[in-house]
Amino acid sequence: MNLSLFSSRPWLWLAAGTALAAALPWLASEFIASVVLSCLMYIALAVSWSTFCGATRYLSLATSAFFGLGAYSTAMLVDVLPWPLVVLAGAAVATVVAVAMGAAVLHLRGTYFAVLTFGMTELIRHAVTFVEKQVSGTVGRVLMVVPSEATVYLTVLLIAAGAIGCALWVRRSRFGLALAGIGADEQRAQTLGVHTRNAKLAGFALTAAFAGATGAAMAVRWTYIEPAAVFSPFIGFQTVLIALIGGAASIGGPVAAAVVFSLLAETLRLQLPYAYMVVLGLLLIACVIWLPEGLASLARRKGRVRP
Amino acid sequence: MSAALLEACEVTVRFGGLTAVDGVSAALHAGELVGIIGPNGAGKTTFFNAISGVQPTSSGRLFAAGTELTGRLPQHFAAHGVARTFQTPRVFAGMTVRDNVRFGMAFAGRGRTGAPGLGSEAEILAMLGLQELADRLAAEVTPSQQRLLEIGMALGTRPRVLLLDEVAAGLTESEVEAMAQRIRRLRDEAGLTVVWIEHAVTTLLRYVERVLVLHQGRKIADGTPAEVVRDAAVIEAYLGDEMAEQA
Repeated sequence: MNLSLFSSRPWLWLAAGTALAAALPWLASEFIASVVLSCLMYIALAVSWSTFCGATRYLSLATSAFFGLGAYSTAMLVDVLPWPLVVLAGAAVATVVAVAMGAAVLHLRGTYFAVLTFGMTELIRHAVTFVEKQVSGTVGRVLMVVPSEATVYLTVLLIAAGAIGCALWVRRSRFGLALAGIGADEQRAQTLGVHTRNAKLAGFALTAAFAGATGAAMAVRWTYIEPAAVFSPFIGFQTVLIALIGGAASIGGPVAAAVVFSLLAETLRLQLPYAYMVVLGLLLIACVIWLPEGLASLARRKGRVRP
Repeated sequence: MSAALLEACEVTVRFGGLTAVDGVSAALHAGELVGIIGPNGAGKTTFFNAISGVQPTSSGRLFAAGTELTGRLPQHFAAHGVARTFQTPRVFAGMTVRDNVRFGMAFAGRGRTGAPGLGSEAEILAMLGLQELADRLAAEVTPSQQRLLEIGMALGTRPRVLLLDEVAAGLTESEVEAMAQRIRRLRDEAGLTVVWIEHAVTTLLRYVERVLVLHQGRKIADGTPAEVVRDAAVIEAYLGDEMAEQA
């Protein structure tokens, strides 16, 4: 796949891709539609993660927390509110939590930040489990009335397209420049006038909003919602892996990696349940060694040879 | 009398038991070209860090054009027209030379017109002689060009006060001279207040009209180069007899 082709006219490709994907459930089999749905979910998560974490190099492992909060807000609200508001509520809850979490941990860098975001994710998971057991007297929630599969598919497609559109916009904006400056040298950016704290909080909240919306939309696929499943740390790890394998500094990289990852996951999980994680691990090791800037750097290298 | 563009009152910075800057006061006025000298470990860079908000002060107060900035962050100093360079260039390696200069314009420099002849990135690049390199990545230019770009980034914020930390370190003799002339032009033509720390003391003393001498964190002299090199405390602390004879 030639990624540099996408970078020349990104909005056109985004619109064409979205239109094509929107027609898919009516054209392809149910199995293919479900694989594509999983692709779209990881595109939304990985691209929105990269928008903040890739630019600033703040490696957040909190995606699971925002995803899970989105899923839980759906579990509470799906019977009460119309579907679009349910998804927006998931995004809103995740955003509010991200602002609080960000205020507490965004002054830390590197490993400390990564570990603390992971710790807080676990904290949120256990807190939700505790409240459910003590207050609601349940370990999980069954979703009785759920929207149709096509509705869920189109919702996740819109979120994924929104995440890509948002990433494209951020890149060209002053906000994106601030994030890039923070990633390059945070203190230097400060001395040039960037309000780094506000920029980081806004970026972190933006990432969380997309993860929350994705969790809210995907929740109805499970029909049975429990903390261990929706706050699974694997969702966070997989998001980071996809973004890093794809190249977190780009947009096309995480998109391509999300597609590859979902296809691999679906095929391998059926054929070789254990080899699936092994292959992923090997892929990550190979990427770190040979492609430290991800799949996206392949396209760039190619572009440089033939300008 | 108008307020100083940047004023430090009894600024002290302690690191644990070590007092790196000890009660230093200094007022920097519009259009001044001031040198700061002192032996290694005298606290020059720490003083710079304090008066640009990079290093929180342990005590003392800071003002920019009459506004108190004590305890504020670097972006507030930048917003009040204080720009600085770092000893080791901290350019954004992955961005082009042009974008490095533009960066400050998008933030602290936004909405300000800038000093005459330094309002646009083209003017800043031309002033520094970097216009040919505008579209190269900052990582790809030579270390001495990165030193110039470091100044360009600071000028991008369209400052009134420019703090230069050893911008001539590691340059050849002729490059040092060219740098000194450039610094002089920033004051003479653009009217900036320039504060310049340098190890190449002899060059510095030929170009500045006022010099602060720091020693063990204290300010031991503040005057014209001619006065300072005759000051007994300065000679003892730093310069040695040789310099006094030359002056």
